[in-house]
Amino acid sequence: MNGELANIRNIGISAHVDSGKTTLTERVLFYTNRIHRINEVKGKDGAGATMDHMELERERGITITSAATHCEWNDHRINLIDTPGHVDFTIEVERSLRVLDGAVLILCGVAGVQSQSMTVDRQMRRYKVPRLAFVNKLDRSGANPQRAAAGLREKLEHNAVLMQLPIGLESAFEGVIDLISMKALRFGGANGEQVVEDEIPAEQRAAAEAAREEMLDAVSMFSDALTESILEERVTEELIHEAVRNGVLSLELTPVFMGSAYGNKGVQPLLNAVTRYLPSPEDVENTGIDLSNDEAPVLLSSDTNKPLVALAFKLEDGRYGQLTYVRVYQGTLARGMNIVNSRTGKRHKVGRLGRMHAEKMEDIERSTGGDIVALFGIECAFGDTFTDGSVEISMSAVHVPDPVISLSVKPAQQKSQENIAKALGRFVREDPTFRAGVDPESGETVISGMGELHLDVYVERMRREYGAEVVTGAPQVAYRETISQRTDFNYTHRKQTGGAGQFGRVAGYLEPLPAGEDFEFVNEVRGGSIPTEFIPSLEKGFRAMLAKGRLIGFPVLGLRVVVNDGQSHSVDSSDMAFQAAARGAFRECYARAKPIILEPLMKLGVEAPVTHQGAVLKTIMQRRGSVIGTTEDEGFCQIEAEAPLAAMFGYATDLRSATAGAADFTMEFARYAPAPRDIAAELEEKFQDRRRLAKDED
Amino acid sequence: MLRGFLNARSPLRILERGLHGGLGRGNLGLVLAGHGVGKTPFLVGVALDGLLRGDQVLHVALDSSVAHTRAHYDTLFDDLAQATRLEDEAVVRGEALRLLSIRAWPRARFGVEKLREALRVAEETGARPGLLIVEGFEVAAASGAELDGLAALAQELPAELWLSAALPGEQAALPEDIAPGRFAVILALEPGHSAVALRALKDHDSPGAGKLRVSLDPRTLLLKRS
Ligand SMILES: Nc1nc2c(ncn2[C@@H]2O[C@H](COP(=O)(O)OP(=O)(O)O)[C@@H](O)[C@H]2O)c(=O)[nH]1
Ligand SMILES: [Mg+2]
Repeated sequence: MNGELANIRNIGISAHVDSGKTTLTERVLFYTNRIHRINEVKGKDGAGATMDHMELERERGITITSAATHCEWNDHRINLIDTPGHVDFTIEVERSLRVLDGAVLILCGVAGVQSQSMTVDRQMRRYKVPRLAFVNKLDRSGANPQRAAAGLREKLEHNAVLMQLPIGLESAFEGVIDLISMKALRFGGANGEQVVEDEIPAEQRAAAEAAREEMLDAVSMFSDALTESILEERVTEELIHEAVRNGVLSLELTPVFMGSAYGNKGVQPLLNAVTRYLPSPEDVENTGIDLSNDEAPVLLSSDTNKPLVALAFKLEDGRYGQLTYVRVYQGTLARGMNIVNSRTGKRHKVGRLGRMHAEKMEDIERSTGGDIVALFGIECAFGDTFTDGSVEISMSAVHVPDPVISLSVKPAQQKSQENIAKALGRFVREDPTFRAGVDPESGETVISGMGELHLDVYVERMRREYGAEVVTGAPQVAYRETISQRTDFNYTHRKQTGGAGQFGRVAGYLEPLPAGEDFEFVNEVRGGSIPTEFIPSLEKGFRAMLAKGRLIGFPVLGLRVVVNDGQSHSVDSSDMAFQAAARGAFRECYARAKPIILEPLMKLGVEAPVTHQGAVLKTIMQRRGSVIGTTEDEGFCQIEAEAPLAAMFGYATDLRSATAGAADFTMEFARYAPAPRDIAAELEEKFQDRRRLAKDED
Repeated sequence: MLRGFLNARSPLRILERGLHGGLGRGNLGLVLAGHGVGKTPFLVGVALDGLLRGDQVLHVALDSSVAHTRAHYDTLFDDLAQATRLEDEAVVRGEALRLLSIRAWPRARFGVEKLREALRVAEETGARPGLLIVEGFEVAAASGAELDGLAALAQELPAELWLSAALPGEQAALPEDIAPGRFAVILALEPGHSAVALRALKDHDSPGAGKLRVSLDPRTLLLKRS
């Protein structure tokens, strides 16, 4: 059984727009015999690439976002999970990244590492997803795999190592030199299906030798056996493979492959690399939380004989009804068995089990360990965990975004108080993005979540399921503050009061972080000008200042603090003194770092008959929204827009009246963005007024 | 600062100088290039140039999605912002991209009437695009009447209207099935060694069109740094 498990690869292909993800996937499916002809992305042959399985998208030649498909190569089963190419801070993205055991990062050979690859890369790092890189489009003018690899090193801080060299480039691109076997690989046949091995062209021999040296240098870090064999000049291919695999699994090495998906070159060696170097489910440690044991973490094992634990990571409404993609982390999922949703406690019978191949479904009897399969017609929410009922395990939480809106709730009748508490307790357990608490200033119960609708649902549920009518206060937007400019600080905290004094000096700078990042503390103090024991005190001091910004009193995010110098005193320096120094430094330089107010921006999707398009667009414009675009088909249009949460209260009513109820919409948090100047000024003024009032009362 | 950069590196500046004042509102322009050379990034560059000058842009995508098209704008903007160390990046981006409207339609449904209707809808919301981009329209297969209709629309607005078409081979010559008559400007992108050459095949009525030839960075389709 374990032998089989070792041969599964659950991987994602991640790529910046237009780098060739669809084109490459199509080749992968062709060479693995999943499809029998190659359809180009914008195929004039009218078929469209196989992974683009929706009609509309087929017509346009774009990849659908939710397909999961599988194929076989060298006795391995590869489950390909679609991976987002750009940023979205939704939990859904996080969940789909979490089910990957490894990923292939495609880079365009001309453009190299692009800005939007960085965010996806950071998310992958957070989920510890080992990666291989594939530099595509080497047939294009301006292609340069060395530059792409340098981009990986410089912009993404990968330890990127070329495993191949190109033979020719641009229109003369012919194939690759494999630096492990030291052979030239060319791709013959109508679709590059024949891999032809040959001697390395004489004029590239020296370059290949040098590149191999470099590669061996880098990968030998990950294997003593390889290091020894190099010294004794008895290196084998096996030893190199093993070292590369070690490096990849430890996330400390990114081997770089190359080719031209469109030109049918370099794809098979990439598949070999996927099976050789990326982890199998066995190689990855997965933990769940034990709900019957105070949420203690439990290590899951892909053993098919153990109790089932599976995570629903993608839901699709399609021609098969509700389709739920699950990743099996432990045990076996089989047709006919009963499974229990560990969130709701509901029991379901597995009537049908399948494996998706683009739009075609293959029925299967049972999953294998660590597998990805699809369940039919089983009602559940995205992120739910299923077990066989013998354990109460839930997959541990993913990175959860902070709530963006809050609302005070009061019982309409005193007797509901208790039920409200019960309801809130349950909701908080079910939904990590929903929070409830008591506002220390007003003493009111406050619920918070990811949008107005999100909170509405829970208010309604309190009424229906718990018979608790509540009165809600006005919605409050969760603003944030951030800085917009790098600023140095150099602050001395000194206090001499009778007995022991306090002394600490800290110097360094604040700088803005890229969008989506919260906080980073970097210690660059050299030569012990601040003793190491006080570095955590500094971090603590800075963090303490983030809770309440000085502009409008909301949390501060998106900045890095770098500490690079300071001074201490053998007697007067202490944990307290350095915490105070950090707080002082922050207070002193924050204003100079040009703080700005961030407001939550929502991603809005409206679907309406084309005839109402104008009316819908107007409702969005009126609310400071910005329309990204509209997609039209079959008399309907889908409008994608972004709008500030603060301007979207009551939108449902507004939209209904503008379209006579013909439109539907969805809205979810997208990201934080700077508030326009006039709005920011208004918020600041209000905050200052409140502060003045509070002072007057004192 | 961004403006300074565009002045220095946007191929449009050269065209404005090299051609008789650029494409000009009321005219039809055509960009030709082989597979994957960069018609989209080039046209997105043209559009971004307009957006940063405060023009409204309507970008019709017949062969890709809204998200896909928008990603091209974000990428190019990121590149520009990085190269210029733009300070108020988020604010400038917001202001510029607010003027952009992307429409994704099935190719089969495209026509002059459809475009007219989209402009009517835009007008309802107070938008009046000065620049239209239609990508994925099969120029070679279009009827003369269709092209006339597009040209008339460009005049009425008036707006610059750019179309793109694929070149079958590497040769940057006008394919035989495209009649140059209706286009005021025809440009071709030709992949070369580590640069893409931009050539004017037609420049209004000027006979010396063939002379204009500039090198673009194949990554951004902006002028190569000298
Ligand atoms: N010249 C060249 N074009 C490619 C290559 N791979 C993909 N393309 C083209 O690049 C465009 C975008 O490819 P696609 O697979 O849709 O990229 P995706 O957006 O990452 O899925 C299409 O026109 C492809 O034909 C390649 O290796 N060489
Ligand atoms: Mg594309």
